[in-house]
Amino acid sequence: MPLSEKSNATVPHTGSYRRIAGPYMLAIAIVAIGAILAVLNPRFLAPANLINVIRQISINGILAIGVTYVLLTGGVDLSLGSVAALAGIFAAGLAHPGAMPLVAAVFAGVIAGSGCGLVNGIVVTRGRVPSFIATLGMMTAARGFALVVSDGRPVTDLSAAFAQIAGGDWLGIPNPVLILGAVAAVSHVFLRHIWAGRHIYAVGGNENAARASGIDVDRVKVFAYVVCGAAAGLGGVVLASRITAGQPNAAIGYELDAIAAAVIGGTSLSGGVGTVPGTLLGALLIGEINNGLDLLNVSSYYQQITKGLIIVGAVCAQQRARK
Amino acid sequence: MNPTKRRGNFAFILVAAVLGAALLTCCRPAPKQTAGAPPAHPIVIGVSLLNLSSEFIVMLDQAMEAKASELGVKLIVADAQRDAARQVQQAENFIAQGVDIIILNPCEVDGSSPAVEKALAAGIPVVNVNSETRATPTAFVGSHDEESGKIAMNYIAQRLHGQGNVVMIQGFLGQAAQIERAQGAREVLAQFPGLRLIADQTAEWDRAKAMSLMENWIQSYGSKINAVFAQNDEMGVGALHALEEAHMKDKVPVVGIDAIAEALQMVKAGRLDATVFQDARAQGSTAVETACRIVRGQPYEKQTFIPFQLVTADNIGEFTK
Repeated sequence: MPLSEKSNATVPHTGSYRRIAGPYMLAIAIVAIGAILAVLNPRFLAPANLINVIRQISINGILAIGVTYVLLTGGVDLSLGSVAALAGIFAAGLAHPGAMPLVAAVFAGVIAGSGCGLVNGIVVTRGRVPSFIATLGMMTAARGFALVVSDGRPVTDLSAAFAQIAGGDWLGIPNPVLILGAVAAVSHVFLRHIWAGRHIYAVGGNENAARASGIDVDRVKVFAYVVCGAAAGLGGVVLASRITAGQPNAAIGYELDAIAAAVIGGTSLSGGVGTVPGTLLGALLIGEINNGLDLLNVSSYYQQITKGLIIVGAVCAQQRARK
Repeated sequence: MNPTKRRGNFAFILVAAVLGAALLTCCRPAPKQTAGAPPAHPIVIGVSLLNLSSEFIVMLDQAMEAKASELGVKLIVADAQRDAARQVQQAENFIAQGVDIIILNPCEVDGSSPAVEKALAAGIPVVNVNSETRATPTAFVGSHDEESGKIAMNYIAQRLHGQGNVVMIQGFLGQAAQIERAQGAREVLAQFPGLRLIADQTAEWDRAKAMSLMENWIQSYGSKINAVFAQNDEMGVGALHALEEAHMKDKVPVVGIDAIAEALQMVKAGRLDATVFQDARAQGSTAVETACRIVRGQPYEKQTFIPFQLVTADNIGEFTK
């Protein structure tokens, strides 16, 4: 790879305040909303419920970290939900009791997701198709593929071991949370401290400058889509385990929750700005609202209005803080 | 953002929307046939289905195909993918193709009505199957969704001896099935003053969403919850998983609707307490039969209601083979 140490100099350091202010404000917002929820229903702060919230954000968190890679390059991935469903079908297909070792099922899901990501990346870079369109196509095609593979029916009768991926826990921490933690830790270190990760910021910050400094822009972009697809695949496996079925019509609209989490977390839709901790906090805010509104038994109609307002409000507050 | 860029974005969104619509519009390969063929030709039925991603609709489709091949008639099947506007387009295409009759599995009560009106205006009869439209078709084959809500809630009332707290997981808000199933359930609740609906929320027919919702309810209500009514089996199974994980399932009966294959297995295994069987096979085959009678000018039923049936461990044998 024509990637040398000197290219690191081109990584745009877009003001440390800008990076930190977002997540900092967001953490305050999460605590403040949590305090309000706790006053209205003390059960919100019960340890069992806090674990419940973190478990519920795991799948969205995994998808959101994946899409953060693509958003950082200045692209977008709308195919996440469909790809997750497809990966779930593949994984479930190999997870019948006594059929295959567990690792084969997980591997199949992640590979299916990565494959979709690879196609996205190639269409975007080689095909010069805007990512919005390329991944919109994948969103439709992957859903269709999931329906074809499963014959329109859910894939059920899964092994107990497969159900443990999402259902089990380790020292009281639910497995999906551990998986999210691992994905987040690896991604954070990779994006902040490894040269290849910093190239992703460089490409999204200023593509021409990145190219001029010798970065293989196309390769970096394809890599981002593959990681995003792999994350969608992994999320799909966890989802299939959680609902103990591979469903062709699962995960509809998950891409929007994932993108919302990343953007709430300070990721810029025009690329080059964003962090893994920010994305995690974004996912946490969405999960906190979902959980809190259910606990308060707010009517379904008003839940939707409240969610919309809080999401836009969170981004708005961060924009003000940056000025 | 400068004005040029904004214009660029708008054009981009427009292109995206057009392309998206193009991508999403798809029919199954249709057998070719000629319009206005002589009476001896096999009957051609245009079918527009609500959504072939749903297991129930797939069953409906298979029942229709089976009946069609038995009667020697041709089906041209199109999937409206929950979009009423697409359904109306499909009806227009059927009219242009000159099919003998249309079987419509409506997406929406109002939104799909133009499909019925346009076909009737073009002299093509319409049979609505499974759900209704505001416009009156030539014939209707289906079930009263209200009845299913009543059956499910009645079962809960009996299990709880008319005393206790119930939670209801609703379908996609505003859809006919959600409105009518909720209404049926509320009518039964009104008859039992001891039954209290302590919470109801939508999980949009989705298993994962219902599971999260149930987990949240377990956190806020805990052992106060005495029974769960889910407006479809997918959500019922999601709630069941949440209750099992919280070790509460023994005390809390769960009831769903639709009798999908997985739910029947769970009733058989004693995990799910009950579901309500909506007879996709009878609906699909009766719709095709009725359509053929109309085209041949034979007498037919204007409205055929296929009854719902409660499925519990007691009668599960009739439903699983």
